[in-house]
Amino acid sequence: MSMTDREFGYMSTFLLKSSGIVVPKDKMYLLRSRLQPLLRKHKIESLDSLAKAVRSNEMGALAHEVVDAMTTNETLFFRDQYPYEALKTLVFPEIVHSKGVGKGINIWSAASSRGQEAISIMLTALESVPQADRRIHILGTDLSDEALAYATAALYTQMEVQRGMPVKMLVRFFNQEGSNWRIRPELQVMMKFKKGNLVSDQLAGTVRGHGPFDVVFLRNVLIYFTVEERKRVIDRIAANMIKGGYLITGATEVAQGVRSQWEMVSFKNKRLWKLL
Amino acid sequence: MKALVVDDAKVVRVSLGRMMKQLGYEVLEAADGAQGEEQMAANPDVDVVMLDWNMPVMNGYDFLVGLRKNPAHAVSPRVIMVTTETGIGQMLKALAAGADEYIMKPFDKDMVMSKLDILGLEYADS
Repeated sequence: MSMTDREFGYMSTFLLKSSGIVVPKDKMYLLRSRLQPLLRKHKIESLDSLAKAVRSNEMGALAHEVVDAMTTNETLFFRDQYPYEALKTLVFPEIVHSKGVGKGINIWSAASSRGQEAISIMLTALESVPQADRRIHILGTDLSDEALAYATAALYTQMEVQRGMPVKMLVRFFNQEGSNWRIRPELQVMMKFKKGNLVSDQLAGTVRGHGPFDVVFLRNVLIYFTVEERKRVIDRIAANMIKGGYLITGATEVAQGVRSQWEMVSFKNKRLWKLL
Repeated sequence: MKALVVDDAKVVRVSLGRMMKQLGYEVLEAADGAQGEEQMAANPDVDVVMLDWNMPVMNGYDFLVGLRKNPAHAVSPRVIMVTTETGIGQMLKALAAGADEYIMKPFDKDMVMSKLDILGLEYADS
């Protein structure tokens, strides 16, 4: 299914201004694959028709669903493993040492999607930080209302919990509800999820009261932004972190801001970023 | 790298066996726990057992208990249950008997790779 140049141009402009996502022409397949379920759901015959419907009401529910569909990544627990090994063996010990026992540790999952990243951070903390259930506070932000509702419910299907979640953690930290699994309620209170747009100057207001952050996860998100927007996103995040805090990006992503300065820290041949 | 697939359903042995071959494993098969024991006796260097629970002759749980009683197999091979038994009680029972991971059917290749990752087992990522 192809789109006319006119409608593709409109859709990519709409996505850029509403969410900061860049969809170049050679990534048109992303529109096709992500928006196909919406076409079926609303019985819309083509991407062109969808684009026209969005254009007629950019603040409407359908436009909202388009942004949701384009910004929600399928994700898994403990994705790539190394960030969580780094938390356990490098980042958490350093923070606990510098802050002292008993002080709160604030962590931000800055594109939290359906909450698997926040849960993976929390379970890593529970196994490596003394009194983690009282000290660790995790904020997840995302653009997608659907993803935020999912993360807040913390109820995952049998298929989802088998992607990356060790069975020993599953039986220890989740309750079974039929064929689904929900994080135990006493752990759920360690996490909060809020709507937040990384490309908006309102971001500081969104995260106020939850920071400043000792650790921020911003993984596999920067690739969607222009080079200039990436720098602004990095600076917005840095403005809400403590000095010496860690930023954990995707393996190939680089922390480079306009104002903020970062030290690259190598962990098992992967890069983490420390705010100077 | 050697994998033993123990399942009474031929369709599962074939599909899971194919996945493991694609992941670079030499694959052995057994249709029940007793055949599984014979395969282990002949191939003590198996790295991972993919084990169904409900089978005739000898079920997967009894096979697992017997396997871990052997000091040579107290830790290795790693055992991944692959079963329609999805209750948390069964999962705890399998873990207590020495299972290392657990796959609730239905499964796909991503899930198998995810479990191999968790156990630190190598595979060819093609």
